[in-house]
Amino acid sequence: MAPPVYAADPPGARATIRLDDLVAVLHRPSGTTHLLAPPAPELLDALASGPASAEMLLGRLSQQYELIGSEMDAIVARMEELVAAGLAWRA
Amino acid sequence: MAQDYDKPAKADGTEGEGSPSFPARRGVLMLGAIAASSVVTIRPALASTAASVLNCRIPIPDPGHSGQYIGHDGKLVDPGTKGAVAPPSRPVTGEEARNMINGISPPGFDPSSRSAYVNYIRRLQQGTSGFTCYASLQMPRG
Repeated sequence: MAPPVYAADPPGARATIRLDDLVAVLHRPSGTTHLLAPPAPELLDALASGPASAEMLLGRLSQQYELIGSEMDAIVARMEELVAAGLAWRA
Repeated sequence: MAQDYDKPAKADGTEGEGSPSFPARRGVLMLGAIAASSVVTIRPALASTAASVLNCRIPIPDPGHSGQYIGHDGKLVDPGTKGAVAPPSRPVTGEEARNMINGISPPGFDPSSRSAYVNYIRRLQQGTSGFTCYASLQMPRG
């Protein structure tokens, strides 16, 4: 079974405010507001350059950050949360 | 736009490329435990209790268009337009709106106006009076 590929609306679809370590996100298409903790905002941003699998997301994040706990399972778990919240979907 | 908040200076040696709204802050990202949750969805306060949702109000039409009639398709039209119905004498509550959607008119309302009112409610958009009330009705509880 092929691993899921995730996608998200472009950054312009979200209004964001950083609150110290958290980010408040208004998802304009749904009108819902979410509080995101790392690495969820970074994952959403990593999707700005196009749909990606967990492995590709890990690659994109590792170009920018020194990752701690870089298990693919953690990325999948975070992405599934973003999918459940309506901020991302399985492409 | 709203995501154009002040961008902090990039941390030493980190690349900002590919991250339009969240440039690297510390250059270190904790991916966290699988079980740790990182997303909390905030629902409008109206949705937090069934009682408050059912008591919120939807004016038909919104105050900016008072006096207008409601066409069968829910669009606002001039008073007296053929096929259009007069607005109700008072705003409907969330509970009444839900009942109307399910086919039950509030006491004192002309049942033949129900579908026009329902169509008006369904057309409500963000920024229109009553939208939040209508949106809350549709939001899953939990």
